[in-house]
Amino acid sequence: MLAAVRSATVFGVEGRPVTVEVHVSTGLPAFQIVGLPDEACRESRDRVRAAVLSSGLVWPSCRVTVNLAPSSQRKGGSGLDLPIAIGFLAAHGQVPVAQIEGLGFVGELGLDGSMRPVSGVAPMVAAMRDVRPVVPTASFREAQGVVGDEVRVAATLREVVDALNAEGPWPRPPEGEFVDDEPPPPDLADVRGQSTARRGLEVAAAGGHHLLLVGPPGSGKTMLAQRMSGLLPALDAETALQATMVHSAAGVRLPAGGLVRRAPFRAPHHSSSMVSLVGGGSTSLRPGEISLSHGGILFLDELGEFAPVVLDGLRQPLEEGVIRLARARASAALPARFLLVAATNPCPCGGGPPGACECDESARLRYLRRLSGPLLDRFDLRVGVHRPGVDDLLATGGGEPTAVVAQRVGLARQRAIDRIGMMNAHIPPSRLDELAPLHPTARQVLREQLEADKLTGRGYHRIRRTARTLADLDGDGELVLEEHVVMAMSMRVRLSVSSRERAA
Amino acid sequence: MSGGELPGEAYVAALAGFRNMNVHRLGALLRRHTPREAWAVVLGEARPHGLIAKVLADRDVAPTWKRCAAERPPEAVWQRCCELGLLVLPYGHPRYPGGLLDDRQPPPVLFVLGDLGLLAGRRAAMVGTRNATADGREAARSIGHGLAAAGVHVVSGLARGIDGWAHRGVLAAEGEGRPIGVVASGLDVVYPREHRDLWKAVANCGLLLSEAPPGIAPEPHRFPLRNRIIAALSEVVVVVESRESGGSLITTAEAIERDIPVMAVPGPVGRRSAAGTNHLLCDGAAPVTSAADVLTALSFQHSRSAVLPADLRARPRAGDLAVYRELATEPRTIDGMALAIGAELVEVAMALARLESAGWVSQADGWFECVGSPLR
Repeated sequence: MLAAVRSATVFGVEGRPVTVEVHVSTGLPAFQIVGLPDEACRESRDRVRAAVLSSGLVWPSCRVTVNLAPSSQRKGGSGLDLPIAIGFLAAHGQVPVAQIEGLGFVGELGLDGSMRPVSGVAPMVAAMRDVRPVVPTASFREAQGVVGDEVRVAATLREVVDALNAEGPWPRPPEGEFVDDEPPPPDLADVRGQSTARRGLEVAAAGGHHLLLVGPPGSGKTMLAQRMSGLLPALDAETALQATMVHSAAGVRLPAGGLVRRAPFRAPHHSSSMVSLVGGGSTSLRPGEISLSHGGILFLDELGEFAPVVLDGLRQPLEEGVIRLARARASAALPARFLLVAATNPCPCGGGPPGACECDESARLRYLRRLSGPLLDRFDLRVGVHRPGVDDLLATGGGEPTAVVAQRVGLARQRAIDRIGMMNAHIPPSRLDELAPLHPTARQVLREQLEADKLTGRGYHRIRRTARTLADLDGDGELVLEEHVVMAMSMRVRLSVSSRERAA
Repeated sequence: MSGGELPGEAYVAALAGFRNMNVHRLGALLRRHTPREAWAVVLGEARPHGLIAKVLADRDVAPTWKRCAAERPPEAVWQRCCELGLLVLPYGHPRYPGGLLDDRQPPPVLFVLGDLGLLAGRRAAMVGTRNATADGREAARSIGHGLAAAGVHVVSGLARGIDGWAHRGVLAAEGEGRPIGVVASGLDVVYPREHRDLWKAVANCGLLLSEAPPGIAPEPHRFPLRNRIIAALSEVVVVVESRESGGSLITTAEAIERDIPVMAVPGPVGRRSAAGTNHLLCDGAAPVTSAADVLTALSFQHSRSAVLPADLRARPRAGDLAVYRELATEPRTIDGMALAIGAELVEVAMALARLESAGWVSQADGWFECVGSPLR
């Protein structure tokens, strides 16, 4: 009269094992679920009952009590439908209890007894490593990416019951190689002109430098940013798994192959809330956009339009690569190591060549103040993007295609990894002299800039890191040359509050 | 009301700061009453002249003025004028500038700091946009410098941009020419604030004028009025850089109404900052490319031109000259420059970095411009 079934729920990006205990007894007919289920979980009573009846099985008039252990944790989602149904059938004797040993179940049930995919299958099966998971057919690739061929699948509740009763075989998982159904990211060859900005993308991708694109509306900032993801190499195994977990937990569609291998590109709108960006929510701590862009790119268009408090929320994850969320009842650490690419106008009117700006000084100041300070400081690259000239637009043939640039990026990244085991953007200031030694003329250029007060101490370090990446892109020379330093400086445009009144 | 020992100017100065007061009303009040009487009329202690009675009957005028009278007692305003060393010149005062006496809209009162004798010299106005390009600033500075070197006083509004640079040029010259500043606010309210030093310099070695008594903020409606004084005090008005509309075009309109010649510095076709000046040229304004053109218009001999101070910046190396020359025609981005001269991005970046550190060009928002006097 009692059965226990293994399952799991998702919290943050982690699966947490859950044991579903079902007790069937005589008494007034009732169906109760205890153990802190949320609304979706409580509604599974109606789905499970209908699914059992439509699968040609029996639902007697008896008292059914379901306990979700550990009972002090909140559980959410509809993935517990299947384990509850199996638990009931086992407790009622329609399935032998011994058969469900060594198996774990995840899946939502339809009223007709079909099994539907749920979000978070990847972290859930990861939490049930000691048992063979049974998942809906549609979630097969997602589960396979994590635990391999151990996975069992079924399309309906009936199929599961038949297999457990040895009345039929376990359905065969879908076969064949999955073709990558994602459209390739847009190609850099589509971009006309913009040689500095293209170079900026290349450097950002090669060194892991955060990139701010500054330019008037219509100059192609968004177009450029979208082409950035094609420059990043495929994710390594560990990052791919982490990214898959995050995407799965958030219910974002995974690629057909099950694993997120391509660097993600997320572009939330500037009206996004704090929680949607960094993650949160009271019961399950759903991952936010910064976690979804783990291993890839977070693109914030119109940076100045984001609420300042939301932008400030990015600072800690930018520093640490994880976001630690804490709520009254729970806390979680979600991965969030992303490359920040942002775009902004230089001023409210959009700016343009000198003398074209319509804004008065106070409006300009107010606009820049929203960006300034600690966040602006975290961008190694501040690249000016300008409306392409007529000659650029009419020129035949675009620039270099993504594939060529991506190859250079890959080589440069490898050089950096071989040298220090990390990206150039993360070189600590104390090791700059050792890892990015300067040619004497390059040192002289930087000295002049510092003496003329055009460069702050922090800016100095950022320029040295960027110059290191530029040198890596150029070849395997260890020394950073003058041209690299100058190029790095030209990729750090001055955002002038009062550009119209500079000393002549 | 006590204060029998106060001069009439004290009452005029106080009245000029009232809300709802304007040139016409103050003029009418002072034409029909003595200053002391006018003050009594405002307080309701004396019978107003028929016309003034009509003004006072206007909505709000009488109560507002009464309130203002309490806020700005003539004793306090006068004391402030004395502290600042201001000369208060009501219309008709023996030292009131002759050029304004028979103007179509003479200021009822002027507040003055500095040397009024300058108005006896030759005077040219220089006006233009506040949002000037590097070219515009350089033109304003060099023309101002040239005029001052030739002994012409330069009248301007001390605003941001062209106005400020014209006067900087004047102050840098070692000629007889002096700056004459006409401002919209009280002479103790510096606007824009970054021109604090410039104000001081103009007041010290030139002349500073305003229609507004001390403590009056630069309210927007005061600027067009200020422009009519700039026009009225000048023999020629030079517009250095102006968009299709703007304060400098108000000055030219005021000048045209007074039959004062208007001249303009031409700018590149299609550049917005030169739209207004180019339009003036189409309408028949005389072109100005150097101070000499203005001097010719003033029928001057150009024999006393001073030698320009030597340029101390290191001359760019040969390779960088091409970049500089290209930049001299219009502002460029690095991309644009690389395309224009057909060079590699790195080369251009290096050349621009050298030119910038030597002081030949400046950069903002990714745009490079030439600065300072052009390389010859």
